[in-house]
Amino acid sequence: MSSDTLTRKDVPTAPRVRGDISERTLALLLLAPAILLLLLVVVYPVVQLLISSVHFIHLAQPWMGTPFVGLDNYVRAFEDPRFWNATTNTLMYIVVTVPGALVVGMGLALLANQPFRVKWPTRLGLLLPWALPLVFAGLIFRWFFDSRQGVVNDVIRRLGFEAPQWLSSPDLAFVAICIAIVWKTSSFMALVLLAGMQTIPRSLYEAAEVDGATTWQQFWRITVPMLRPAIVVALIFRTITAIQTFDIPYAMTGGGPGDATETLAMYIHKTTLDFLDFGYGSALAAIMFLISMAVTAVYLRHTRRESES
Amino acid sequence: MFGLKPRWVVLLAGTIVVVNGFFPMLWILLTSLKTETELLSQPITYLPDRPTLANYHKAFADQPLHLFLFNSFMVSTLSTLLCVTVSAFAAYALVRLKVPFRNLILSSILVVAMFPLISLIVPLFQTMRLLGILNTWWALVLPYTVLSMPVCTLVLASFFQDIPHDLESAAMIDGCSRFGALWRIVVPLSAPGVFTAAILAFVNAWDEFLLALTFANRVEVRTLPVGITLYQSEFAFPWPLISAALIVALIPITVLIAVFQERVVSGLTAGGLK
Amino acid sequence: MSITRRTALAVAAAAAIVAGSASAQAQTTLKIFTGGQQRPDVMRQILDVYMQRNPGIRAEVEVGGATSEQQQQYLNTVLASRDSALDIILIDVIRPAQWAAAQWAEPLDPYLGAEKDAMMARYLPAYREANVVGGRVIALPYFADSQFLYYRKDLLQKYGFQPPRTWDELITQAQRIKQGEGNANLQGFSTAGAPIEGTVCTYLVPVWGSGGNLTNAQGRLALDGAAAKRPFELFARMKDTGVLPNNIAEIVTDRIRLDFQAGNVIFAQQWGYAWNRFQADADSQVKDKVGVVPLPSFADGQPSTCIGGWQLAVSAFSRNKQAAVNLVRFLSSPEVSKMQAILASHLPVFPDVYTDADVLKANPWFAEAQPVVRAARTRPVSPRYTEVSDIIRSNMNAFLAGTRNADQALADMTTRLTPIFR
Repeated sequence: MSSDTLTRKDVPTAPRVRGDISERTLALLLLAPAILLLLLVVVYPVVQLLISSVHFIHLAQPWMGTPFVGLDNYVRAFEDPRFWNATTNTLMYIVVTVPGALVVGMGLALLANQPFRVKWPTRLGLLLPWALPLVFAGLIFRWFFDSRQGVVNDVIRRLGFEAPQWLSSPDLAFVAICIAIVWKTSSFMALVLLAGMQTIPRSLYEAAEVDGATTWQQFWRITVPMLRPAIVVALIFRTITAIQTFDIPYAMTGGGPGDATETLAMYIHKTTLDFLDFGYGSALAAIMFLISMAVTAVYLRHTRRESES
Repeated sequence: MFGLKPRWVVLLAGTIVVVNGFFPMLWILLTSLKTETELLSQPITYLPDRPTLANYHKAFADQPLHLFLFNSFMVSTLSTLLCVTVSAFAAYALVRLKVPFRNLILSSILVVAMFPLISLIVPLFQTMRLLGILNTWWALVLPYTVLSMPVCTLVLASFFQDIPHDLESAAMIDGCSRFGALWRIVVPLSAPGVFTAAILAFVNAWDEFLLALTFANRVEVRTLPVGITLYQSEFAFPWPLISAALIVALIPITVLIAVFQERVVSGLTAGGLK
Repeated sequence: MSITRRTALAVAAAAAIVAGSASAQAQTTLKIFTGGQQRPDVMRQILDVYMQRNPGIRAEVEVGGATSEQQQQYLNTVLASRDSALDIILIDVIRPAQWAAAQWAEPLDPYLGAEKDAMMARYLPAYREANVVGGRVIALPYFADSQFLYYRKDLLQKYGFQPPRTWDELITQAQRIKQGEGNANLQGFSTAGAPIEGTVCTYLVPVWGSGGNLTNAQGRLALDGAAAKRPFELFARMKDTGVLPNNIAEIVTDRIRLDFQAGNVIFAQQWGYAWNRFQADADSQVKDKVGVVPLPSFADGQPSTCIGGWQLAVSAFSRNKQAAVNLVRFLSSPEVSKMQAILASHLPVFPDVYTDADVLKANPWFAEAQPVVRAARTRPVSPRYTEVSDIIRSNMNAFLAGTRNADQALADMTTRLTPIFR
């Protein structure tokens, strides 16, 4: 930080207050709580998990012992059709719900970015879906899509169409789950975008209007480029959480019909906490972590390249 | 884009946003006033036939809902305070001071967000047990603090970056220690960022379910999301009763974000999430 | 090795905690874990009786998650960490084999000594069988349950039918009544079809009913016979004839109860808890219109049903095993079985209690329930039962949803179950 050194040169006479400490020590002191917490709550459990992932540990079969098995658990994952099914499903949710949340969130943000006389109803409208616990969002949407008692089918029937069995069909269940996820996640996306929109100077739009740009052109040439940094950060966080998709499909279908809507996180949960196959479950979790890292790395590289150019 | 629009366009836009955000809550509210039989009637009813508050009475009678509220409030508040403090320290050090391995530390804080929490439950349980804090608020406060640390650190770091160095130096000339300058100059100036970080941390903690289910299983420390699932039983899922409990759970968080909505949005703005 | 080091640390920590608290209290405190559904309020009443008789004991109830699965997930975490916080744990009837294998339950044989055989002989046979794994007593039964065929007495009378003895009769009757009533919302037969534990029973009951089983006498998978296909044939026919509700793949246990209670179901395969709701709930549309009989069989088979109920296990990590065993013996006594029957309508685990006058006064239908519970069968005994259950329920669910046909479902079940029952 060149500015930092500059400032310090500028004030060579700054009196050293009693008990003041060197910058390096201060930095370490300030970082210590965060690092300590990370070690305790993340690093230690993660190390345990990685160790488990190279052992056979099946709590329902303790007579087998806990032998070291090298990468067997990882190899097993690659030969496990259910793992591939769950991974594919997870990727499908990411591919649909991340852009979905962005598009819907952008729509909501544009709608909310109007000169309202009273602002709180729209603000709350954006904040509430975000504040509703995931578990309950899933349950509520399961009920909305219930084939007999659900609102969705009631509306479909009233319109004179035949009501489908949403959660009994793999495709429709996927659609229903995606709708629930997009609803739950788009509002925070909208908040971030709305916040960004409000920092864009009005003069930019005014100038564009003078030049005869249409609203559509203004959106693509001013709003989107100005929002880009906010969009990227929001997308990274949204993608990371999308990789961990669990609560909503868990509550809506429990992974059914069959394994058709099961995600990787659900499969890990089941393998570890239901089947007690700790070794294999740990390996699956490690793989999921690698996927998260890879996706984030791709994003970061993309943004870095963009900011350099 | 900011040209004058007809009033009805503005109103329609607002209505869409409000309806989208409110309809599930409204549905729960209506359900909480119905009986279980009405819920099963065909065709389904929208407004309750004969509205009843019985579900609310029952919600407080069947489970110590007020205790769950108190626990959720305490756990969320404590973890928010801790998270904001720890994140502010870390963000300040990373942005304003010379730190070895700055990038490594920053990225390892972010990597935390990527670890699937569900797979860490068993090792985390063992950690909490070694610390002797299972079935206390702290068993939730610590992981929740870490859970929100990445996003809080990021928000605060971008705020600290925007505060001119001169202000700080000036304060130090006036006899403030470095720490004093942080406390008296930097923190107040980044208040909007602190607020945003705090709300993010609070809501994250308020909503968490899976860890709460495992680490705080005694009724004395149980939080709302777990408490509410207890209204269901092995087989039964009494929607009207659960809806009533959910409404009770949503009121405080709604009030909180309603009070601070201006700050949440402006905080996200100024932070820019760069 | 990570596990051993972790264990050593854990044990040391636990020892320190216990040492600290033991000196402070002269009394022995026992922690009992139960689910919210198993009437913790009634258990507390029962424990008050015990504490009065045994002043040196304090018994506390810890109430866990709402469902058997949620409770077990929590317990898995606690017990995998060899935590000593719980002394007695109420477990689902499907779990003793897993608990025995994981060595989480203290085998009770040494504590029961010479009394063991005489004591076990007093329980209903199915519960004797369910709680003894590899010749060792893993837990003692607390209360019984099983699936029954609930039917609408009024509708069957109206059309001049006797309760069905075979699945064929059930289908014919359901079709006739549906036709006669002309009510599109009326379901012929309802049972669990969602990917939940109850759906395992939906599959197994017709298998047993046609003389088959999931495993043979040697404990190997035996899904190759005609019996394994019977459930698929049966439910395909029920679907074709419109007897099954069209959302069967979404149906969870309590949904059956709600639909039946609203008067929308003719026949239902359902657990014992539903009876009281039908009779006592203010909004019940079927009060005094409900009959209970054993589930139907095939013309060439035996009636059978799925056993349920809850068992008392002593944690292998408990610090007060002897005191815990004493309390478990009390909780699993005829005296407590009777108290539960009267206070909570829990089905007794002793044949005599079913015919007790006080019990029958509180629950007249127990007289009809006893033969059903007697004929109830245990689901496959395996330390990896949760995996077994998952494989069966997801295939049955996919079949009922129409996304997998019988051959595909059976093939998938066979491939995935074979290594487990090797």
